[in-house]
Amino acid sequence: MGFLLRRVLFYLVAFLCAATFNFSIPRMMPGDPIAMMFSQAGTTLPLESLDALRATFGFIDAPLFTQYLHYLKSVFTGDLGLSIKFFPLSVNEVIGRALPWTLFLVGLSTLMAFAIGSWLGIRSAWRRGGRVDRIATPTSLVLQSVPPVVVALIFLYGLSVALDLFPSGYAYSPDLDPSFSWAFIASVAEHAVLPVISLTLVQVGGYLITMRNNMINLLGEDFITMGRAKGLSDARLRYNYAARNALLPSITSFAMTLGIVLGGSLITEIVFNYPGLGYVLFQGILARDYPLIQGQLMIMTAAMLSANFIADVLYVYLDPRLRKA
Amino acid sequence: MNNITRSFLSNPRALVGLAIVLFFMLIALCAPILSDHGPNDRVARPHQPPNTEQIMGSTRMGRDVFTQLVHGTQTSLLVGFLAGFIVTAVGTLVGITAGYFGGKVDEFLNFLTNIVLVIPNLPLLMVLAAFIGEASPMVIAFIIGITSWGWGARVTRAQTLSLRQRDYIQASELIGESSWRIILVELMPNLLSIIGFNFIGSVIYTVITEATLEFLGLGDPSAVSWGVMLYHAQTSSAISVGAWWEILAPCAALALFGAGLSQLNFAIDEIANPRLRTLGRLKRYQKRLAGDPEDKPPVNAAAMAAATRNDTVLQKEGSK
Repeated sequence: MGFLLRRVLFYLVAFLCAATFNFSIPRMMPGDPIAMMFSQAGTTLPLESLDALRATFGFIDAPLFTQYLHYLKSVFTGDLGLSIKFFPLSVNEVIGRALPWTLFLVGLSTLMAFAIGSWLGIRSAWRRGGRVDRIATPTSLVLQSVPPVVVALIFLYGLSVALDLFPSGYAYSPDLDPSFSWAFIASVAEHAVLPVISLTLVQVGGYLITMRNNMINLLGEDFITMGRAKGLSDARLRYNYAARNALLPSITSFAMTLGIVLGGSLITEIVFNYPGLGYVLFQGILARDYPLIQGQLMIMTAAMLSANFIADVLYVYLDPRLRKA
Repeated sequence: MNNITRSFLSNPRALVGLAIVLFFMLIALCAPILSDHGPNDRVARPHQPPNTEQIMGSTRMGRDVFTQLVHGTQTSLLVGFLAGFIVTAVGTLVGITAGYFGGKVDEFLNFLTNIVLVIPNLPLLMVLAAFIGEASPMVIAFIIGITSWGWGARVTRAQTLSLRQRDYIQASELIGESSWRIILVELMPNLLSIIGFNFIGSVIYTVITEATLEFLGLGDPSAVSWGVMLYHAQTSSAISVGAWWEILAPCAALALFGAGLSQLNFAIDEIANPRLRTLGRLKRYQKRLAGDPEDKPPVNAAAMAAATRNDTVLQKEGSK
């Protein structure tokens, strides 16, 4: 499959760019990069760990290009170094423990936003100026431009501090041990309600607007008129004819906005004290834990590239024109 | 041009958006008049709820929230418009150059744009800001400006590519007009709605992103902006001690300003693409009476952005 292979190659180059960025930024800053990067490490890390950490980031006694190759080798073998804040854990372990919670929040809220937003978009395009359109479209436009941090803070203050309806932190009650028991799952669900709702609200507008605008443009096409002339039912025209085609750009926007959603998730987790990547990262930033901050860029880039690849595969499946090539 | 201004001023969304944005600009300009002490002066006891002296209450450090808010408006607006300008300038330049000159130039610039688009922006900015250390608002504006132009470049390129095929451009080329004249005089006016859409979208994005970075503790904690206000509120646990006014003020400002800009952007989209207009019931009725045939719309910016990815993929596929 030539198309997918070329995409994979492109993603490899993009990943290499992110790694190169990570490599050159500390070296481009004024002053001694080693002293800067590991200034906080001296107190927590034993000497031999510090040496290993330096080597991971390519700070070896060699020319710059050899240093670069050395760093690339670390990155491509999955070694992101040790975390300074969470020593003795490695960056991989810190991110590995936090990532499932972030993926849970992002995945669930994206699915909900996609379903709700697309459905509302279809409705408001079908009856433009109707009740759904007049309420949902302006509301979602406003929601789209409100920062995630604002939505999260308002939910946290309103529903969990002032009204005390929901817990205000952690992913599950600290009295429980992780297990597949009913009590544990219920606790996880209860703690996830507010973060998931606020992340969904932030995203729903984007899907609604994309879907509405595509539907409106498609509804003027000849094949819709033809379908109507044949006497097809409204529902069939709406979903099988128009919505099916209008969905393609929504899939693109899913992959494109994933970066923004991941960013929104980081903020939401910090506000709700939710133990995902954002929360860990916040701790890392406050402690100037550079290996962790750099590691999250690599992980986020990898996540972003995978999402783009999934969108590519979906495209090949949904758009027959691509399959022929 | 007159026509554009008229349709802009008769669009209710545009008027609402314009009013909100002008209101914030006025606050930013009048900040020194609106409050007689400095934003970082300690003028009250810590965490006072709103009262006659401090109409928006005070922070844990005893600073006046209202004074911080009006001075923060200055910073946040300046950062927003500065970075919005950089994003739009770079995006438009790259997009037009790639779309107009084509060939190797296009291949390279398009590749660059795709890389910029696919590397997640916020994590990248976090690394940059962390290494710069306590980045001032202007530095944040700059780094957002140089890393966030991908979307604008892609949309501008796609529209330039389609304009390039039109007869009047070909005619200008045949009479030997220079490339720069064609770009500035023939292309630019037809790209105005996309450039405007891009600029306003970038301002929204920058204001949000600046607030986010500062909220994360990557900004300069002694600066005064909406993001730094949120950062101090978060680190002094304003929420758990019930000091809602410290949170509400910057949140409301961010939300209202974003809402105003997005109304402006929606208005631009509606003006550029008449089909997207949400008509009132009366107007719809009148339209039906008049038997107005809905004309084929020009492509709107938002749908364009979504569709172009597919286009570029298909084009590559076709050229293979």
